[in-house]
Amino acid sequence: MSSSLSNFIAADSEKCIGCKLCEIACSQAHSGSTAFTVGALTSPILPRLYVVQTPEITVPVQCRHCEDAPCANCCPVSAISRKNGAIIVENKLCVGCKTCMLACPFGAIELLPVYENGKPVMQPVLCEENETSVDEAPMLFAGKCDLCMDRAKGPACVEICPEKALSLIDPARMKRDRNIKAAMSFLNTSQNFS
Amino acid sequence: MTKVRELIKIDPELCTGCERCKDVCPVNAIFGKKGEPHKVESSRCVFCGHCVQICSGYSSVLDEPDTPRAEKLRERGMFESTTEPLFAAYCAGDALEVAAALKTDKFSMVQCAPSVRVAIGEDFGMPAGSLTPGKMAAALRRIGFDRVYDTNFAADLTIMEEGHELLARINSDATLPMFTSCCPAWVRFMEQHYSDLLPHLSSCKSPQQMSGALFKTYGADIDGKAREEIYSVAVMPCTCKKYESARPEMSMEGYRDVDAVLTTRELAYLIREAGIDFTSLPDEDFDRPLGTYTGAGNIFGVTGGVMEAALRTAYELVSGEPVPDTDLLFVRGGEGTRTASITIKDKTFKVAVVAGLKYVAPLLEKVRAGEADVDFVEVMCCPSGCISGGGQPKVLLPTERDDVYMCRRKSIYSHDKDAKIRKSHENPDVQKAYADFLGEPLGHTSHKLLHTTYTKRDI
Repeated sequence: MSSSLSNFIAADSEKCIGCKLCEIACSQAHSGSTAFTVGALTSPILPRLYVVQTPEITVPVQCRHCEDAPCANCCPVSAISRKNGAIIVENKLCVGCKTCMLACPFGAIELLPVYENGKPVMQPVLCEENETSVDEAPMLFAGKCDLCMDRAKGPACVEICPEKALSLIDPARMKRDRNIKAAMSFLNTSQNFS
Repeated sequence: MTKVRELIKIDPELCTGCERCKDVCPVNAIFGKKGEPHKVESSRCVFCGHCVQICSGYSSVLDEPDTPRAEKLRERGMFESTTEPLFAAYCAGDALEVAAALKTDKFSMVQCAPSVRVAIGEDFGMPAGSLTPGKMAAALRRIGFDRVYDTNFAADLTIMEEGHELLARINSDATLPMFTSCCPAWVRFMEQHYSDLLPHLSSCKSPQQMSGALFKTYGADIDGKAREEIYSVAVMPCTCKKYESARPEMSMEGYRDVDAVLTTRELAYLIREAGIDFTSLPDEDFDRPLGTYTGAGNIFGVTGGVMEAALRTAYELVSGEPVPDTDLLFVRGGEGTRTASITIKDKTFKVAVVAGLKYVAPLLEKVRAGEADVDFVEVMCCPSGCISGGGQPKVLLPTERDDVYMCRRKSIYSHDKDAKIRKSHENPDVQKAYADFLGEPLGHTSHKLLHTTYTKRDI
């Protein structure tokens, strides 16, 4: 069964220095804009992984692409599904109900504003003061790691990390590799059993 | 000793203590514990802004900062309308001050360094290294500058003064090697760490300061203005130029050569604030005479550029013949130290180019020991020269930085290649300035306006 396990990105807290470049690279990879300088940015930096810094630990947290993904299970409009081994949000279907945000045990989902051509996409919402009229508010969607599926060089956060703290984990392969490593280690000790 | 302005700062609310800035600081001026907010020690700092360029500790819209964004913007000298993300390491800016001064009845004159025109387009979404001198001149006029001059004019002038200074030193067996003095971070480093070698620094002011000194004299005369009526602004790729402009040596009778310095990024803020659509601006010319420049003046923006411009002119001054090939490829290159020699008539000149302040110490130790076999040395603090300056548009991802710098560099050289005049001594308005006002290189007026002195500075 393990051959179908989803890949995910994980970080080594021993290596992470908290520079947040992974967040910036993530935002850039998903921005759809060609801006490459700070001054040219027309939308905020909107990452899908979050560097957490506490006195005890510094490490980015991101989606584990759970096998029984609570976010997908609870989405009332079926905007979250599994595609090519990753848990993906269909932005256009998302209504911003935040249920997935609550369901995710890692806090890997954040309601992010939708930007198109450097401008926030607005949507009509009910006016707070007068229930019969409508107002405009930024359209939000549940933003989360998509493993940079459409990116030729793979996940942007893994590529940019100056400390090589992040890696794309293939759990099935990792298990096989560990099995082999363990078997090899028996080489030195096996004579004791004969 | 007067306390220096704390130009380069780290916002403790945004700094995560990753220490990447510490790695690039050429003078070990950043202090702090890993994982905790760091601090810049201004007395050690050479204000190069390398830390500003590398910092990735940004302020997220998803977090509520302790200090409201509006207040942070004010502290940084930025307009409230500026929407770009803020980073922990920053340069205290002067955009607000310049915007306010432009509303007064002062007669404003502005100059732009060569590297600004190959980078500012990037902050408006244009491709890396877009060459936009015409749009830049147009934007400066629309912002409200009365005269749009150019630092490149003074770069040509620097070559005249520095070239003659070098030849005079060689002919009179005076202190050699001579070091260039256009990079203020390098000059500050010398004053802090190698004050015994200060006589090796060229006495020439930098092009920024030469321009400024001329604005308030020659330039003021041309427009029939008094010195005190002029507001002199420089747009620079460099954060240290703010420090240089405030040096007490850089003023005359109480009037600063340059009243305010904007970085390339700050000029972009001003353009946005004025509601100008930079990319659709027409190409306009710089004003004459202090905006006329040659290809040689323009290559000051890249490492090896000052050397190449100087050699083009020195060759012709010494030999009386045109230089065989205007492109002196042997002084071009990247980060680090390189040496070359050129034979003019029957004399061989040995030159060296250092790009990156951290590479200069071995050479200085040799000079100290009297073992440096070189006549003329160009030193730039920044790894690719001014195009990679601390005030340039900040490249978001370090993986893209080298490519962007290469594009800027290519633009600098193509602008030179396409120039009708490519040698500083052939700049007609430099020739005219000498004929009408300055007299001769190293002459009395030059000495008063275009040359300076250095002094030991404590760390």
